Amino acid sequence: MKQEISLTVNGEDHTLIVTSRTQLAELLRNELDLTGTHLGCEQGVCGACTVLIDGKPARSCITFAGSCHGIKVETIEGFQNDDVMDRLKEAFSKHHALQCGFCTPGMLATARDIVERFTSPDTEKIRYELSGNLCRCTGYVGIVAAIADVIEQQIALGISLSAPTIDVPEQKSGFAPFEPSSTTRAKPANITLQKSGKVSANGNQTIVERGFSIDHKPEVVWQHFRDLKSLGKCVPGAVIDNVDNDRFEGHVEVRFGPIKADFRGSGTHTNNDMNKSGSVIGRGADKGGQSNLEGQLNYIIGKGETPESSKIDVEFKFEIQGMLAQFNRPELVTGLVDYILEQFVQNCNSVLSGNEIKPGQGISAFALVVAIVRAKIATWFKSN
Amino acid sequence: MKPVSFEYNTPASLSLTTDLLVRTKKDAKLISGGQSLGPMLNLRLARPELLIDISKLSELKEIGEDKSKVIIGASITHSTIEDGGVVEPISGMLRYVASRIAYRAVRNKGTIGGSLAHADPAADWVTTMMALSAVIKTRTSDGIIRKIPMHDFMLGAYRTALKHDEIISSIEIPKYSKKACWGYHKICRKVGEFANAIGAIVVDPVQKYCIIACGAVGGAPLILQDLSESVARSAAVPDILEIVLALETSEQQFDAVKMQQLAVSVQRAIEKAVCK
Repeated sequence: MKQEISLTVNGEDHTLIVTSRTQLAELLRNELDLTGTHLGCEQGVCGACTVLIDGKPARSCITFAGSCHGIKVETIEGFQNDDVMDRLKEAFSKHHALQCGFCTPGMLATARDIVERFTSPDTEKIRYELSGNLCRCTGYVGIVAAIADVIEQQIALGISLSAPTIDVPEQKSGFAPFEPSSTTRAKPANITLQKSGKVSANGNQTIVERGFSIDHKPEVVWQHFRDLKSLGKCVPGAVIDNVDNDRFEGHVEVRFGPIKADFRGSGTHTNNDMNKSGSVIGRGADKGGQSNLEGQLNYIIGKGETPESSKIDVEFKFEIQGMLAQFNRPELVTGLVDYILEQFVQNCNSVLSGNEIKPGQGISAFALVVAIVRAKIATWFKSN
Repeated sequence: MKPVSFEYNTPASLSLTTDLLVRTKKDAKLISGGQSLGPMLNLRLARPELLIDISKLSELKEIGEDKSKVIIGASITHSTIEDGGVVEPISGMLRYVASRIAYRAVRNKGTIGGSLAHADPAADWVTTMMALSAVIKTRTSDGIIRKIPMHDFMLGAYRTALKHDEIISSIEIPKYSKKACWGYHKICRKVGEFANAIGAIVVDPVQKYCIIACGAVGGAPLILQDLSESVARSAAVPDILEIVLALETSEQQFDAVKMQQLAVSVQRAIEKAVCK
């Protein structure tokens, strides 16, 4: 979708027609030929694209044109008659605070903000505040020295801060023992599903083992599990399109917070009637997200605590490649797996009791995959 | 990478926003500061058809207080809180936490309501609000206002009690007494990254209140009820084994490294509150 926006860049007014999804950085570089703003990670992590929006540093790679109407932007090409920026540029040169220069436009935007907010050339503080801008050649020593230098110059010149940072009040600590009230306002979250099993990793593969019970006889549950179409219905978000003997084709829509993926693929389904065990092996690709998923689900159905119930042990093994891949953080999977299992068990119980499945839970067994994935994203950016 | 094509809508009021959420047939997503959603859009992990910008709604920018609570509008940014722009429910805690979220460039845009609605287990506000027993105030398209206690609000990783046409309007945090103490400790491999472990404690001997919360777990932050009570009674730092035991009773499974990180973060948070 295209839309008209008006914004001020380096003091000049512009009216542009751009697509809503255009990143501010792209808009600056491609529409206004202001190529001093650099795009690095495009995930808000590296800081190369940092510009001042309405006087405050912000990431121009995760600011989209749709939100840019009426804003004032200052890029490295700007800062005309800006004494602080002039001092910083000179100090960067003097202290050898750049080599290749790729990070420098973002560094300077952040550096200017540091100089404006802090009265002390405390290098530890500078390093902390600079942590959102990555430089791969200087080792930061020169950059930190340049910023400290400018803060000292400002102090020497008696320049007061335009945005004074108030010191955080001292933290109070130490208290006398007391009997906590029984009406303490918080309570632990409810745990609805009895859990057993474990989560582990083997190379790039994540393995989730879980056991749960179902209120139907093992024979009935087995008939349900060996029928792929019936079983597939119970996996939230999954649709089995074709079944040809032990081969199948299908897709599964994964929704996890704002994350959405649609894995389409095929696999095999094999069963052993002797010991009521089986496995589903599948592989699929999420075209829109450029990720691949390979997984295996093993299950075995045994007697439950009563003759009318069954115990089901499942083992998921899976591996993801592509955009969603490269990371593994099993603890994040735990909470999600139990949520999924809860829905899966509910769905199985519904089907076996002859009821309809509640539609659109929007999360699937494969969503746990995405949970791991999120942890990968976490390594790239910190956002809140 | 670049995001998929989406429409961008900026409704002029909260009721127009909730109406749009009900009316639209498109796959819509609210965006406030966009500091979590932005990267997900660029990575095409999120592929909405419509973004609804709520960052400019004045109804979400309320800052206030009464005798018993502090009110923070949903679209108040982390940097506003860091700079002391809201009243502290307990001396200095919100500012401390806010100043350690990501980076200043992110804090200038990211909002407290957005962070809570996003419900990332490793985010700072979810654990902080749990320890502070905050209440999340919301509004739906038919004008129904709900006040959801934080412990009922976050259901799991990226899952909240919000309905599809429901928006967080503000966060209400009870005020604690002048004698109240707090501690907050997070472990990150690099400054500004998602935390590996978060420990938070709020103790108020006057209100007989003590809550220890542990974040960056598999889902909603854990409230360590028994440990909270024992710390209130002892006013001492428990040893690491006692904390590990408390975490084990949560029924979540952590590997040895994660368990150690969580226990240490909780212990260090308690140290800050307890040590005179």
